[in-house]
Amino acid sequence: METVLLLLLLFPLGGALLNATVGRLLPRRASEAIACAGVLGALVMAVIAFIRGGGSTQHLTFFPWIQVGDFAAAMDVSYDPLAAVMVLMVTFVSSLIHLYSVAFMRDDGDYVRYFCYLNLFVFSMLVITLADNLLFVYLGWEGVGFCSYALIGFWYTDAANADAGRKAFIVTRLGDVALGVALALFFALFQSFSITYINAHAVGLSPALATALALLLLWAAAGKSAQLPLTVWLPDAMAGPTPVSALIHAATMVTAGVYLLMRLFPVVALSPTAMMIIAGVGAVTILYASLAALAQVDIKRVLAYSTISQVGYMILAVGAADIIGGMFHLLSHAFFKALLFLGAGCVIQALEEEHDIFKMGNLRRLLPQVYWPFLIGALSLSALPMIGGFFSKDRILEAAFMQPQAIYKVYWALATVAAGLTVMYTFRMFFAAFLERPDGRTPETVKPIPRLMVWVLWPLAILALGDGLLNLPGGPGKMLLANFFATVPGARPDLGASPAVSWGLGLGGAALVLAALGLTYLLFRRPRPDIWGRLQDPLCSAFYLDRLYLKCIARPYEYLAGVLWRDVDEGGVDRGLEKAAGGFKILSGFMGLWTTGRLSTYLIMLFFGLTVMFTVLAMSWNW
Amino acid sequence: MPTIVPYSHVLILAAILFLLGAGCAVARRNLLMILIGVEVMLSAGGLAFIGAAMRWQHLDGQAFVIFIMAVAASEVAVGLALIVYSQRRSGTLAADRYDLMKG
Repeated sequence: METVLLLLLLFPLGGALLNATVGRLLPRRASEAIACAGVLGALVMAVIAFIRGGGSTQHLTFFPWIQVGDFAAAMDVSYDPLAAVMVLMVTFVSSLIHLYSVAFMRDDGDYVRYFCYLNLFVFSMLVITLADNLLFVYLGWEGVGFCSYALIGFWYTDAANADAGRKAFIVTRLGDVALGVALALFFALFQSFSITYINAHAVGLSPALATALALLLLWAAAGKSAQLPLTVWLPDAMAGPTPVSALIHAATMVTAGVYLLMRLFPVVALSPTAMMIIAGVGAVTILYASLAALAQVDIKRVLAYSTISQVGYMILAVGAADIIGGMFHLLSHAFFKALLFLGAGCVIQALEEEHDIFKMGNLRRLLPQVYWPFLIGALSLSALPMIGGFFSKDRILEAAFMQPQAIYKVYWALATVAAGLTVMYTFRMFFAAFLERPDGRTPETVKPIPRLMVWVLWPLAILALGDGLLNLPGGPGKMLLANFFATVPGARPDLGASPAVSWGLGLGGAALVLAALGLTYLLFRRPRPDIWGRLQDPLCSAFYLDRLYLKCIARPYEYLAGVLWRDVDEGGVDRGLEKAAGGFKILSGFMGLWTTGRLSTYLIMLFFGLTVMFTVLAMSWNW
Repeated sequence: MPTIVPYSHVLILAAILFLLGAGCAVARRNLLMILIGVEVMLSAGGLAFIGAAMRWQHLDGQAFVIFIMAVAASEVAVGLALIVYSQRRSGTLAADRYDLMKG
């Protein structure tokens, strides 16, 4: 088991190292094969590990890492059901994305750098997923941050792309600070970094400390998972290549924050206040991002805001003490979001880098091979009854509804409204891009796309369509996933809802989704870019959050930096030094007059000095 | 008891010698003469030491003179070598011509 898990981590790392060192010397096919083999190897190892010990919890230490006094950190993993499923998902989705990338990047000369970062990205995410030691988690956490920076700014020759990469790096770094503080606090309280140990001994924490820790973790998760108020980096992260967007949104990066909260759920759950705040952040983010997604024009930005919104559901699930629902939604989201992004990538390449949905149209006829998988993804994202995303979203709404505190009813209402909006923004984009319209695309303007890119969509489409089977509310596969997760600390397989409530919520949700779908068809059957009128601008810019940060944080900071640089450093310190140096120069020029170059002058000076010295000495001598 | 030269006389003679040497070193422009002036100054110091050794009946002073002679000898050796080298290099022994370090 230890070997399997070690190999699981080493495969992608090895792929990244190989490509980083000798990738340039190898032919293109070899470089691609190394990258794909790295991830596929990890997938095979994940499957083996799942078969051999998926249901149990195992704690393995690879080797000690840091040992100073009584401080010790080891490279160790905790393989529990949560990690088992997460690892399977990450490796599976990443493998497909790697295969897709081979075709997607066929015309890009910088494939070595691309595949190296891609493998490193997967490795970092697997470290977060498996690691038991929080320092080890932090290693993966920062690794993910670095790789996202490198990949978002992959086409760095365009300044906007490089800026987007930097923005992602800086904003997620704001969250990482909180994780660093939380880590220090954990060590101060528990003298240990082990998640298993912390979860087992968390009960004794005082409420105030538990709240502080949970809020620090929430802030860290908000950074990585792009929740309010740190959402701003994700829409700009669309600057990267589309497979990278898929990787960031589906398999790695954004789910890391939620996953961390789930891993440390016993600590988080100690504080009802923190739980309420977590759920609140989730609920508000869901609605906020759904509204913003309604007015986007760029197909990738619609998907980006939908990710923020869907991750909000997962955060809400954690806040409603239902990590099973959160994990369930994480899984379905991974499948349908990867599917949607890869589909969008096909569309964008076929239309020669066209991102504007209102300049698409007719794609159902022109790209039928993309149309069907994309439709499945869109339906799953909208949580159409009996399709993947429906069951997971339903479970989260039920969990929020069943919490005793009144505020959770508000959260439930927000999330339910947003569920309706989800359908609207998804199909607004879908109708505009795919349905027939007179001003749409003609066959001449559509380029053929490699078949590999389309084949990769189908496994994801099948999973997105059918992953509800993992956790049906009734029937033969009843609660499969929930029972599998039963041993995870803090998991509640049964939410305790009466059948009436459960059915009522389910049917109500289904009716809402269908009604929203009908309404969307009426509103957006014909693309209407101007439907929001004066609301278009605030919606499209996500309520000016970017501008607010720019005005309130970035500009003052820039101004302060300017003052410190020009006035304090250049004007104060530098000029002061220059003036002082100038003074000394004049003084030394003055002294220079004494060096006449005549030996006798020096000797006279010497004798004169000695005479003065000896005279003083003689006069002060105590005879 | 034989009459001995008083110490003050010895010191006065040494001071006169020292000033003569210093004057030579300061006033002459020839490097060789400057070196000779320095030698005279050293000898004046040695004379003061001898007188002091006699005055206090102590051998330390005489030991110092031996040292001063050794130092003077080596100084002359190095100094003359430098002078010969300087003469060959710049063709002159006039001290004022060596003004590379002039400010």
